[in-house]
Amino acid sequence: MLEQLGNGFLLGVIIALGSVALSLLYGVTRIVNFAHGEIIAFGAIITLFFSSPTSSSLLYLDRFSPLGLNFIISSILSIILCGIFGGLLELFLFKPLRKNNFGNIAVLVVTIGLSIFLRHVYLLFASAKPSSFPLDLQKRIDYYGVQLTPRNLQVLILSFTVMVLVGLFLSYTKTGKAMRAVRDSTELANVSGINSDFIILVTWIFSSMLAGFTGIIQGAINNVRWNMGFLILLLIFAGTVLGGIGTSFGAMFGGFIIGILVQLSVGLEFMDGHTEAKNAIALVIMITILLVRPQGIFGKKERIS
Amino acid sequence: MRKLQNILFFVILITSFIFLFNNSGGPRILINLMTFAGIYGLAAIGINVHFGWTGLLNFGHAAFMGIGAYTTVLLIPHTLGREGDVVTTGLPLSLAIICGLLASALLGLLLGLPTLRLRGDYLAIVTIAAAEIFRLLVRDFEDLTGGVYGIILFSDALQIHRPEIITEFSRTNGIPPAQVWVSILTLISIVIVLFILSRLKRSPWGRALRAVREDEDAVRALGKNAVWLKLQSFMLGAAIGGLSGIFLVFNYGTVQASTFVPVLTFYVWAALILGGVGSLSGPVLGAVVFWIIIAGTDSLTRILFESPDGQQLAGVRFVIVGLLIMLFMIFRPNGILGKKEELLLDVK
Repeated sequence: MLEQLGNGFLLGVIIALGSVALSLLYGVTRIVNFAHGEIIAFGAIITLFFSSPTSSSLLYLDRFSPLGLNFIISSILSIILCGIFGGLLELFLFKPLRKNNFGNIAVLVVTIGLSIFLRHVYLLFASAKPSSFPLDLQKRIDYYGVQLTPRNLQVLILSFTVMVLVGLFLSYTKTGKAMRAVRDSTELANVSGINSDFIILVTWIFSSMLAGFTGIIQGAINNVRWNMGFLILLLIFAGTVLGGIGTSFGAMFGGFIIGILVQLSVGLEFMDGHTEAKNAIALVIMITILLVRPQGIFGKKERIS
Repeated sequence: MRKLQNILFFVILITSFIFLFNNSGGPRILINLMTFAGIYGLAAIGINVHFGWTGLLNFGHAAFMGIGAYTTVLLIPHTLGREGDVVTTGLPLSLAIICGLLASALLGLLLGLPTLRLRGDYLAIVTIAAAEIFRLLVRDFEDLTGGVYGIILFSDALQIHRPEIITEFSRTNGIPPAQVWVSILTLISIVIVLFILSRLKRSPWGRALRAVREDEDAVRALGKNAVWLKLQSFMLGAAIGGLSGIFLVFNYGTVQASTFVPVLTFYVWAALILGGVGSLSGPVLGAVVFWIIIAGTDSLTRILFESPDGQQLAGVRFVIVGLLIMLFMIFRPNGILGKKEELLLDVK
């Protein structure tokens, strides 16, 4: 069972990063963004397109050849593009909806439509087969009982650093404080001189960049697939619900726990031969949490009906 | 203005029918369209009870359709799995169908209990997760469900009741009699379900449901049990979904792990939103329009890609489905023919 611990950390960190971004966006805009997974996939697919060697014709309609850039540069460009993508979504889709007083439920259905649309655009342009980033293969090394490749260790450290930076950003910078103010009450934030439209735009950009980063991490650890976003989104929901929807730190923690539990369950005896059923475990945990403690571990107890 | 729009719409509808007929194999295409529009229309009526009447977001309809279908099929004589284990004993079909509908309603109860007390978006998350769990379980538990090999040779239980006249009619027109029979039964079921629903909608119960959709707190203040009302509506819609799932597998004649995938739900949603959320017969109309659009999309794919594979056909279909859901939800949430006042947009 413990040999899965390394994998558990890796999956946990992916889900934690995704949950923070989803939770932040939910807190500020009250939108449950079902298209979040598609932004994650966008980050991974763009990075794959930028960084694959120009000679390879693994994807993208054969007509376009990959750019063959340096992997780090590709990742940074891809994260920036994800931010622009999120900003455009807010400016041209969600802001007009908000101004026309669309209810949360209607907006939720719109994000579902957006998610199906984007996912299948990826399917048309990218190959259905999983592809990997052009990184060299590495062997697993034992770090104090946890089995990881050196690159995956770097990925873990990088992700934790990013999470700490996000926490510091939310707690201490002016923009971060403004985000939390809008999350607590849009009206009160407005009367105290915060431009809530601008803060919501910043939140969209910020959460999309985080999602893009999540996608790159996921691609580096596993592989890149057109539907990677949908699969991870369900686990992210589980993590967010476990930690408490709308709480950034709770979401981080919940995501991490879900990742570890899902991977550890692979080692259980009754799971033999049912490899994909591990994801079902996360979803069952989520439903149980909703039954016994719907506000999550760290959520404030309030009326959520 | 309104009249003009409706007339224009029906002209387009009839033109597309003629267009479809002119292609080779006209009757075949028409019966296919009728069957699928009927089945998806029935499924959409189920979601309409959830979303249109009560304001519940169900994104896991595939699971309700699937559990109804699997329960029914497993209770009648069938052949199962990789080895083709033959099961010759079973319940009578009508009893098996009732068990299937109960199983769907029971799943509705199971999913509704933890979530219907909470805000609407939790139900959306849980139902979409349930559809994914259902897919994983069906695929992994091969002993019970046949997994990817599925279940075959069960449709005789339905087809032995087929009147001789349908068989003769189908032979002369060169269309499969089995499909004609399923299609006719689907249409009859739609009429019955719509009749029952129209009575329910005007009953105090139906009005209470719509009150839950508009303002739950007001319903509570009047002393009604809003959660129990929502739960009843959820189970009713789930059972209707189960019925459509049963017809879907009898139409195919087989059922595998790939029959009830989570994305199936969004075909149904697209049909519902096209036809108009909240109206009674809108979902059926929406399903007809939806399948005409899908037929058009497939021809479009053949122009865009030379010799498209299944992946590209499905890809273009779902791109259109996503766009339809998005655009209709934004610009015409009441569907092509829907009334403006039926659905309030600022429902929280």
